[in-house]
Amino acid sequence: MLKVTEAPAYFARYREIIPDFEKFLAHLREPLPLYFRLNELKAPDPEVVLAGLARQGVKAEAVPGFPHFYRAEPRDFPLGNTEEYYLGYIYPMTLSSALPVIALEPKPGEYILDMCAAPGSKTTQIAQVAEDKAVIVANDRRLDRLTALVANLKRLGVACALTTLYRGEVFPFGVPFDKVLVDAPCSGEGRYREGYEGELLYQKEGHTNLPAIQKGLLVRAFDLVKVGGIVVYSTCTFNPEENEMVVDYLLRKRQAEIVSCTYPLPHHPGVTEWEGRPLHPDLQKTARFYPHETQAVGFFVAKIKRLF
Amino acid sequence: MGRRKKIHKEAKWPRVVSLKEREEVLSFWEERFGIPKEIFQDYLLLSTAKNYWLFIAPPDLRPLQNLKVQTVGLLFTRRVSRWLKPTSTALQRFGHLATKNVLELSPSQLDRLRREKRLPFEAEVEEGYVIIKCEGKVWGCGLYAQGKLISFLP
Ligand SMILES: C[S@@+](CC[C@H](N)C(=O)[O-])C[C@H]1O[C@@H](n2cnc3c(N)ncnc32)[C@H](O)[C@@H]1O
Repeated sequence: MLKVTEAPAYFARYREIIPDFEKFLAHLREPLPLYFRLNELKAPDPEVVLAGLARQGVKAEAVPGFPHFYRAEPRDFPLGNTEEYYLGYIYPMTLSSALPVIALEPKPGEYILDMCAAPGSKTTQIAQVAEDKAVIVANDRRLDRLTALVANLKRLGVACALTTLYRGEVFPFGVPFDKVLVDAPCSGEGRYREGYEGELLYQKEGHTNLPAIQKGLLVRAFDLVKVGGIVVYSTCTFNPEENEMVVDYLLRKRQAEIVSCTYPLPHHPGVTEWEGRPLHPDLQKTARFYPHETQAVGFFVAKIKRLF
Repeated sequence: MGRRKKIHKEAKWPRVVSLKEREEVLSFWEERFGIPKEIFQDYLLLSTAKNYWLFIAPPDLRPLQNLKVQTVGLLFTRRVSRWLKPTSTALQRFGHLATKNVLELSPSQLDRLRREKRLPFEAEVEEGYVIIKCEGKVWGCGLYAQGKLISFLP
């Protein structure tokens, strides 16, 4: 566990890439605002939900540029204990977590693989955007996490998803996926924040070689999507070794193209050089999102097209 | 002894029901709750043992059937002895479309039903499975019979 006083030293390696670095560090001591997605699959009339929350003292305001998303106050309100949550009308999630699905642009009728899906904030968002009419394969390698995903699909009333328990790297071929989302396991640096007890809620996945896992997942995702299809790769970390360098690896191994994308939150181009090593120039078309600019968890999103 | 033979992966896949069975299940929803069959036209009806699942009809199901699946779709209806019983999960999703056999409870009635599991109850609905609603929200399935309301809420 990293203490907030140790954060400046830990993040120092990103001084050159994180804009307003001092502001970023200061921001880590502030709590993030609370957001939720309103699930119109189950709540065709949002007013019923908003009125119900209002009666409990929750003020909810629609977020411009993010259909179905609301900012809720007070920000420490336990949304998870409400009837609205229990009945699957709402899904609390950080705002930046909506970005990968915005890049994915799911449509009814598409075959979509969510390769690292649990606990399902993005799977259920895909289902909602595609009006429960895309064919979603929601996969995760961990059974305990898949159980949470299955519970969320049920809670939100999603009927367009099936769930599988594969290691993403060996997900079987055969389904003609139009799109694949790789919301990869990562070091989670973008979530760093001073907790209520003055600690950072930092989780690092032990000593596993994350970039190696991420490369394996992304290459497989690319090989699973059909020619002309889209792969979205996302993480909640700042580390270029888990972001641009993973995508750079794919660009060198396969005929892939990075697609530009517009997002409703401030962002910065991906880096094209890291620790003296030049990367593919097109990586500037990927997007980096920082907490102090977005009031949400830090994110990286790359939208990739399979050319061949 | 020896290793147990692995179940063939397709054995785990729920079976697509026959037209006749589909008709039976969807007619139940239509007759009992007034929810037209067309509401479900984009969905397949799958079955495992006594359960029916709703799953979006893909352009082609076959490639998906090669996957080893954990769950497919939304639990929709169950066969309970001779009867069909809607799940609370499905009612929470589609119950707002119902035109009959809906019980509107007050918050205190709902509270009591959830705690005590059954209530003495008089209502102008047919005996059988009912949709339990409270303040515009569908909570799920109940059974109304002989002046009692029995909870099947999760
Ligand atoms: C960032 S989380 C996904 C969050 C999820 N997409 C959401 O929005 O709710 C990463 C997930 O990847 C899973 N995972 C880790 N290694 C994996 C692998 N090799 N194949 C598939 N899933 C993996 C983890 O169990 C974890 O649930």
